Amino acid sequence: MRTGIFICHCGHNIKHTVDVKRLCEYFSTFPGVVVSKDYPFVCSEPGQDMIQESIKKQGLDRVIIASCTPSLHSELFKDLLKKSDINPFLLRRVSIREHCSWVGDDIEINTEKARRLILAGLYSAAHYIPLEEKVVEVQKSALVIGGGVSGLSAALFLSRMGMQVYLIEKEDELGGHVRTLKNVWPAGRDGKIIIEEMIKDLKGQNNVEIFTSTTITDFEGFFGNYEATLNTPAGEKKLTAGGVIIAIGFSPFDARTKPELHYGEDERIITTLDFEKNGDRLKLPEKPRVAILHCVGSRDEQIGKPYCSRICCVNALRVADAIKTRYRDAYVESFYMDVRAHPRGGEEFFEDTQEKGVLFTRANVAEIIPAPGGITIRGEDTLFGEVFEREFDLVVLSIGMSPPEDSKLIASLLKITLDKDKFFLEAHIKLRPFDTAVKGIFIAGSCSGPKDVEESINHGRASAVKLFGFLNLGYAYVDPFISYVDPKRCSGCRMCEQACVAKAIKYDEIKRVVHVEEAACMGCGLCNATCPSSAIGLKGYMDSMIDDEISAFLEAI
Amino acid sequence: MAEDEKNKNPEIVGFACSYCTFKASEMAGSLRMKYPEGVKLIQVPCSSRVDPAFVIKAIVEGADGVFVAGCHPGDCHFIKGNYYTRRKIAALKEMFNIFSMKEKLRLFWVSAAEARRFVEKVTDMYNDIKEKKNEG
Repeated sequence: MRTGIFICHCGHNIKHTVDVKRLCEYFSTFPGVVVSKDYPFVCSEPGQDMIQESIKKQGLDRVIIASCTPSLHSELFKDLLKKSDINPFLLRRVSIREHCSWVGDDIEINTEKARRLILAGLYSAAHYIPLEEKVVEVQKSALVIGGGVSGLSAALFLSRMGMQVYLIEKEDELGGHVRTLKNVWPAGRDGKIIIEEMIKDLKGQNNVEIFTSTTITDFEGFFGNYEATLNTPAGEKKLTAGGVIIAIGFSPFDARTKPELHYGEDERIITTLDFEKNGDRLKLPEKPRVAILHCVGSRDEQIGKPYCSRICCVNALRVADAIKTRYRDAYVESFYMDVRAHPRGGEEFFEDTQEKGVLFTRANVAEIIPAPGGITIRGEDTLFGEVFEREFDLVVLSIGMSPPEDSKLIASLLKITLDKDKFFLEAHIKLRPFDTAVKGIFIAGSCSGPKDVEESINHGRASAVKLFGFLNLGYAYVDPFISYVDPKRCSGCRMCEQACVAKAIKYDEIKRVVHVEEAACMGCGLCNATCPSSAIGLKGYMDSMIDDEISAFLEAI
Repeated sequence: MAEDEKNKNPEIVGFACSYCTFKASEMAGSLRMKYPEGVKLIQVPCSSRVDPAFVIKAIVEGADGVFVAGCHPGDCHFIKGNYYTRRKIAALKEMFNIFSMKEKLRLFWVSAAEARRFVEKVTDMYNDIKEKKNEG
């Protein structure tokens, strides 16, 4: 074995608290280590050249780079090895910056820690085997779950880009909640018209299949070849899709959850959604007294909804505006916690509403008491610190967004994660906001957290673009860190099969051993840890590697 | 126990999942947060990769403490790997308890964003073990 160790100074970042020279000298005495060099910046052009030259001259077959954390520059160094004609999986990165030089200040202690860390890398790399990135074919088709505004915009984009699209919708018609809205912020257009236009465009495409009144009953497979079983009115149907976009929207908060609001018991207590639907038909006196309650079903720890629903402040403002426009002398009082007029133009609209004479009271409403004469609101004014009681003719509850009813079902079928509020969780909040942790499954619209219509459309399109990028390539690389089974050692106890979350382990009835379906394996290594016969190994994280790392840390070799 | 052995700083081996705890430790480093040098991490794809045999091996070879850290329940990249970890480590703790070394093994959840929590958890464990060690 011919190993090369390259220790980076990272300018002063590492050199300042780790004695790099001493480490170099120490490792140069190791058997098998033919190169032991330090360099100010190994990631720089001259640094890369130096590594490449050493590989060529000394014929290295293991490269250990002790520098920053592995997630930085990993592609760069992998490519460097590829260029030098050695397998990129024979590279070992040792983090002596984020995990050593930046953690402590004492140069002696840090040098000792860095020595052990590099030692662990050296021992573990001895067990490395060359691996190949596997290529699998990808179906150029997409399954869009949910025919609301974000699902429609995602389906429309994908079909225009030439992908076969299957759009499934639980209800008997497409459009979701937007269909019921009469005036959609900010342009004030009828939601029905927006939806009808999108449906018309979508039906004009010849590569779209729409299934309404359809639910998904089973889901299997892996990126590029997902297999879904649908329950359609015409019976069961199976289809294969390369990727999936989940756009199942939200559920409006059910105000009955809070009994003190007496919603549903009196017709003078309505929600913003009721107002949107039947606002024109409300019977109110000449000078109506109207109360509007913000944050019903949002920012409420007691009912397990601590998040802000983002849309309801503007909805509340719009109700106030509508009433003030219709009845000039109306007394409209808005009880708020904070006004968060999120969308574009929201703050300006808030100011306009204030100028129109809507009263804003910062308050915690404790109870709504309906009586034949009027509805009493009892609460605490949180600015004055006083308890108040006022009578109104109408109470409008500005309800928030709750996670979709089916979120748990879809999450368990597609094996994706929900966040603490039961919305779908993105892979990374900033860097991968549309992806889920499962490759090729994306989330769009308000099923990943409260969003307004504009944001939902954009989210749908963005997810569609990301999925298109994956599908259009036509092939995918499978991470080579997957499990393999040694059939000679396998006793056929099938414990790994039970443990495997990805269902990648299949039992062979004839040979009485298991094997791993490579494309389905996610590479968690649970089977490796489960196997009582040590027949399973996770490539890249084999028992021998981790064992030697432990020994190196504790100097037990 | 020899006197110099007693005064030696504890060695702690930690198994950190790539998706959460290892990311948190990277972030802790980037933020220049300080924690004891005795804490050394082994990166594993998922906390469920940790075979209890690794933990035992580390203790046998002289580690003063071992921790396994992964994503918060429900946040596992591999869907439910950390639930398996929780069960495995619970069973292992029972065994450690029999040998009166329950404090040598810890399991905790640290998400990728919780660098501070990571530092608190490992420092806490280090200090506890050091205190026990000094008591002899």
